[in-house]
Amino acid sequence: MIKLNSSENEIKQLKRKIASKVRHPYLVRFIPEPTIDEDKLVILSSIMNHTNLSEVKKEQYVITTMLVQIALDTHDLVTLTDEEDDRDIIRHRQLTVLAGDYYSGLYYYLLSQLDDIPMIHTLAGAIKEINELKMGLYYKDVESFQEFLDGLKKIESLLIQRVATYVQKTAINDMAGEWLLAKKLLEEKRSYQAGKFSPLIDALIKRPALLGNSGQILGNIEQTLQSHVHRLETTVTQLPVHFNWLKSYMHAAIHHQFNHRKIAEEG
Amino acid sequence: MKLAMIYSFLKNDLAVIEKAVNETIQSDNMVLREASSQLLQAGGKRIRPVFVLLGGKFGDYNIERMKAVAVSLELIHTASLVHDDVIDEAELRRGEPTIKARWDNRIAMYTGDYIFARSLENLSALENPRAHQILAGTMVELCLGEIEQIRDKYNTEQDIRTYLRRIKRKTALLIAASCRLGAIAANVDPVHERALYQYGYYVGMSYQIIDDVLDFTASEKELGKPAGSDLLQGNITLPVLFSMEDPGFKSHLESVFQRKEDLHTDELAPLIKTVQSNGSIEKSLDISDRYLQKAYQSLAKLPANRAKQTLKGIAKYIGKRRA
Repeated sequence: MIKLNSSENEIKQLKRKIASKVRHPYLVRFIPEPTIDEDKLVILSSIMNHTNLSEVKKEQYVITTMLVQIALDTHDLVTLTDEEDDRDIIRHRQLTVLAGDYYSGLYYYLLSQLDDIPMIHTLAGAIKEINELKMGLYYKDVESFQEFLDGLKKIESLLIQRVATYVQKTAINDMAGEWLLAKKLLEEKRSYQAGKFSPLIDALIKRPALLGNSGQILGNIEQTLQSHVHRLETTVTQLPVHFNWLKSYMHAAIHHQFNHRKIAEEG
Repeated sequence: MKLAMIYSFLKNDLAVIEKAVNETIQSDNMVLREASSQLLQAGGKRIRPVFVLLGGKFGDYNIERMKAVAVSLELIHTASLVHDDVIDEAELRRGEPTIKARWDNRIAMYTGDYIFARSLENLSALENPRAHQILAGTMVELCLGEIEQIRDKYNTEQDIRTYLRRIKRKTALLIAASCRLGAIAANVDPVHERALYQYGYYVGMSYQIIDDVLDFTASEKELGKPAGSDLLQGNITLPVLFSMEDPGFKSHLESVFQRKEDLHTDELAPLIKTVQSNGSIEKSLDISDRYLQKAYQSLAKLPANRAKQTLKGIAKYIGKRRA
């Protein structure tokens, strides 16, 4: 059993445990192994570290919440059908659907082994809300970019916030929301600039009334990111003193993700 | 006799379940609400809720407790159908456009996940850890069964054991779990609970084998798709496995499967004709019947009541199903 005190080594061990849960001998041959979001993992384990739960529960709560996140992220990768799709593309899509279902099943299975029905309920409630939010964001007419950002922030942070509320440790909810939104915007922007599919920017392009053409969209996202980084640094500084390890991690992460980026872009 | 006639004495309780299923998936999001409701409104046999209710009839039957289980099982089944339509690229289900066809794959994924989540939220009203362990285990097995189905496509080296394990995971376990969860919700005696589980398992196996046989024997009109569609998609079912005992058939099939990228129905037509006439259908039906006999034997362990008669009637119906 890992003792969760959020050291880097322990985060690595947790990551390994999650990776071994989701590894399936056939899936791994045809679809990429799922990405385990290390920032979400750090935030979750920091939350659990400040609870009086047993070590078993702390670890299982982190693992099952991450499984839910991985399942949701995996289903976001299911591509749209195209008449030109060949057999490999089709099989990739089929297995992506099933992999997401499998990871969801695993979360339910692990919590059922702990007889933890309230946590099953909490995570199921979060899955429900996140899917409703995704439908709203991608398939409903949002009236402003701010409304769009608010929806995105909720999608990114709701799962962690629901778990934090469940274990009554909500001190880092605001910081988590700000950080995960900024990170998502940055990831999507990079993905779009690299010529890959970006569901977020794609959704914005389909609504030119919100932010104009793709060039204007990228400019606005950049502006939003800059104002977010400032807000984020303030939020991190305001974290309670017992979250010192998380504070250091966040400062380093902000520096790494944003300051490096600035230097790279300016250079 | 129609299947619904066999369990007509559950009519009122099934109406309660139907209403609760619809209420459970009412979302504030219009597209999600419409997409979720579409499949349920298109009907369906509601066979899983039927098994839940019948399982409960051997114990302390309380409609509120039964409702939580029956609704959740129907929703899990519905969520899996929504995702299956993405996997199978299906355009129609029960004569209506599928969610992925009417909207797109992404909407289908979100809808399926939403329905799945509502199902678990709903079932958490049942504070019985064992019920959750059984259902969770079943769901994982269900996914593994579907992954295996994709893995085994076009694979002529599989055997009957592989096939039986696949249909157990894909079909039989959820029916068995429906019977068992109904029993658990009604605090049925453990010996009877086990008999109900076994009944569900055997009936589920028989049902799937007959389904696979019908793919060769029923008409296009009855199936809603051309005969031999499973084989065209590379799914090797029991009649094909029996046919492959003939080396000539097996090598012909292998040569046809080598061109799987642009396989046409015409190329499969002689093979389908062989499956229809070489005794494989009869052999498959015989296996199906053996499962049905085991289902009857499981029923013999249960006390006599109307639910037992109904379960017997359903098994008989499944055995005679030809469309």
